[in-house]
Amino acid sequence: MVATKFGASSLILRFVILISILVLATWGAHLVRDALNLEIRPGNEQAVHRMIMSGAVAYIGLLAVPFVPGAEIGIAMLAAFGAGIAPLIYVATVVSMMLAYTVGRFLPIHALERLLARMRMRRAAALVARAALLAPEERVTVLLQGRSEKSLQIGLRYRYAALALAVNTPGNSIIGGGGGIMMMAGLSGIFSPLATFVTIILAVSPVPLAVLFFGLQF
Amino acid sequence: MPQILQIGAIALATLGGGAATMTVMKPELPDLTVPAGNWSAENLLDGTSFDIVGTDLDSGQEMTDTLVFRDGAFQSVNCQAYCDFGFSAYQTKVVGDAVHFTATTRCPDAPHTVVWYGSVTEDGIEVAGTWTTRRWYWSHQIRFEGDGSTALPDHAAISD
Repeated sequence: MVATKFGASSLILRFVILISILVLATWGAHLVRDALNLEIRPGNEQAVHRMIMSGAVAYIGLLAVPFVPGAEIGIAMLAAFGAGIAPLIYVATVVSMMLAYTVGRFLPIHALERLLARMRMRRAAALVARAALLAPEERVTVLLQGRSEKSLQIGLRYRYAALALAVNTPGNSIIGGGGGIMMMAGLSGIFSPLATFVTIILAVSPVPLAVLFFGLQF
Repeated sequence: MPQILQIGAIALATLGGGAATMTVMKPELPDLTVPAGNWSAENLLDGTSFDIVGTDLDSGQEMTDTLVFRDGAFQSVNCQAYCDFGFSAYQTKVVGDAVHFTATTRCPDAPHTVVWYGSVTEDGIEVAGTWTTRRWYWSHQIRFEGDGSTALPDHAAISD
């Protein structure tokens, strides 16, 4: 009974902390936006357009690279330009995820490892090197290290749901981030392109859709 | 299927899906609705120009501009400075003592459309409008209203 009470109060405390973080993050985003003073005027619209295009290209490229926290660029763009940019962020996220998947699926694994090493992305190269030692269908388990056998089986059986969950899990950067997860999915060869595309369309939709439709103003 | 075709199919599906998403998710922003009426190109305001002080209806920011009517065409000096709009045809209709006018102007180098609607009387000019930018990834609009009086000719500020 005491343990239950402790568990409930702990859960409430965690919930309060989470809400506090969200409130503080929203407040911080407001401050950033005010500080940047990015009001779109006729005189600066073309410069803003160039900034958005550059940011989107950087976002697509960086998010596709394992261990690079590209998602923060998307959040920064939402903070700077508001809900109107949400459709672009959504599409850029899908493009980036599919880019990482395509690279993983079609680029020879040793070539990919060398490419990442040459780009001095040591952690990403090490991740690919670890995966290279495994059979293709086992490669996805690199992302599930430390899990029980049962979790692994469930993860592989419902692999598309697991993929959607993995790319949305906060802190997934420690296992490679969205780019790393999708690259591993491609390298594994057990994710078909069409089903992966549909999974990603659905998986990355919650945040941009919430911003667009529920008017979460940054 | 050869790998190159698979890559092409993935790219096509991703970009096609992205384009469809943009079409569905991007909100449409209509231009200012100009009241219907007996509009004509009679050039009733040719040779006049007006200094106006306006307000961005959403941000409250003050805007100043000079509007020029010449040879059946209209120009906002600010629009010219921002995006080389040039002169655009305008239409007028007379209602009582007021000459109403409307013009739709477009930037040749960027997707900006400005719709103007106003009326000119002996006391001056009242004007309303929308500046709408329709990029492929978003639309942005500035709604404004303003009024002003006859300006002294300043040909240096007016460009073709």
